[in-house]
Amino acid sequence: MSYYDVDSILTDAEKIPCTFQFDIPDLGYLENNPGQTLKTGARVGLPLWLAEMLAIANTGGIGPDDQGKSFVAFDLPPALGNDVMQALKADPRAIPIRDQSAHFYSLATHMMDLSDEPELGTVLRKTFVTRAGEIALHARKAGGGGSSKGGASEEGSNLGVGGAGEEFLRGLDEWERKLFRKAHDGARAGKEWMEGVKKF
Amino acid sequence: MPMYGDLGNKLVQHAKRTQILPHLPPYQTELVRTVTREVRDLHRDVDSLLEPFQGSFDPAADPASACTLLVNHLSMRRNKRCLLAYHRTRTEKLEVLVWNGSDVLDLSAQQAGGANGVPGANDGGTSSLSPQEEDYVRQYGDLLAAYKGQWTDVDLTGSLEPARDLFIDVRVLKDAGEIQTEYGAINLTKNSQFYVRQGDVERLIAQGYLQKLG
Repeated sequence: MSYYDVDSILTDAEKIPCTFQFDIPDLGYLENNPGQTLKTGARVGLPLWLAEMLAIANTGGIGPDDQGKSFVAFDLPPALGNDVMQALKADPRAIPIRDQSAHFYSLATHMMDLSDEPELGTVLRKTFVTRAGEIALHARKAGGGGSSKGGASEEGSNLGVGGAGEEFLRGLDEWERKLFRKAHDGARAGKEWMEGVKKF
Repeated sequence: MPMYGDLGNKLVQHAKRTQILPHLPPYQTELVRTVTREVRDLHRDVDSLLEPFQGSFDPAADPASACTLLVNHLSMRRNKRCLLAYHRTRTEKLEVLVWNGSDVLDLSAQQAGGANGVPGANDGGTSSLSPQEEDYVRQYGDLLAAYKGQWTDVDLTGSLEPARDLFIDVRVLKDAGEIQTEYGAINLTKNSQFYVRQGDVERLIAQGYLQKLG
């Protein structure tokens, strides 16, 4: 994850629910109330780039209640909430995770850095492995390069594959899309090479 | 509700799209300017917040101000990252285009939607490059030319595909004037066809003047 990585920057724009632990006079605009005080306990969806630092910054509060308290406390975003996790446990292939977040895995790994969620890791690992197999399968078919049929309609969109796979492929997040593209291009390049070899 | 950093995010979405496109979309002059202005506004806010403290601000004594300062600081940092990523994405693309044989005129005349520019149609104000980018392309092109100049018998930017035939048929898509070849001068007028040495016209094909036949 480079500083200049566009996907990493877009992941950081994902909003996560935060609860403010202080009254902040100048930040009412975050809650859509410019000019008002942002009250303790206010719940605001903040982009990750902001929430992360506000959550880990040491406020150095001196009051008896403020000791070691950060500016905000955060929860897992709905994309990683219990509902989604339960659904993923049931069948990882049935969920269009793109609808949860276009940078689903990236968001999840980031959140796991910030909070201790051992179960999240287990579920996601299983999800990815199951879906990766499915993606590889679709990528081979999409190239039209299967052993049965010749290469029909190879050019064009990677995603307009048609048939049952279309729904699944539409639900891929950015990372999975990259995987799909690589698997697809790899399979095709392999096939092209094999055909080239025969000619000589 | 618009928030600090939203416009920067828009810029990065442009960058994301740029990565996939074959050509370079127009430079987002207005958006870049607005994001920079946002940074300047935030900086001014920070200055006015800190002014009463005369340089002896203690975050522990005033967590509310500390939080506001942190939010402002993070917003500036975020905008900076978005701006840098946007420009770097474009710069990398420009370098690739220069290696592929485009020069400033091709690139600056290029309009959104058209993959190949129409050289000579650059009537100012329509360039998809910022003035700084044009400068960058020019200088990068010079650097590349100097680098290539070290080898006279190898064309570093030539095609990596081994040629099947030394000579090829080409059709002229756009008037390209007269070119000199080993076998004399050829006048490339639109819609004419020639049988020429591939090495002589490779660049013109890449630029879209000629089309290879067969």
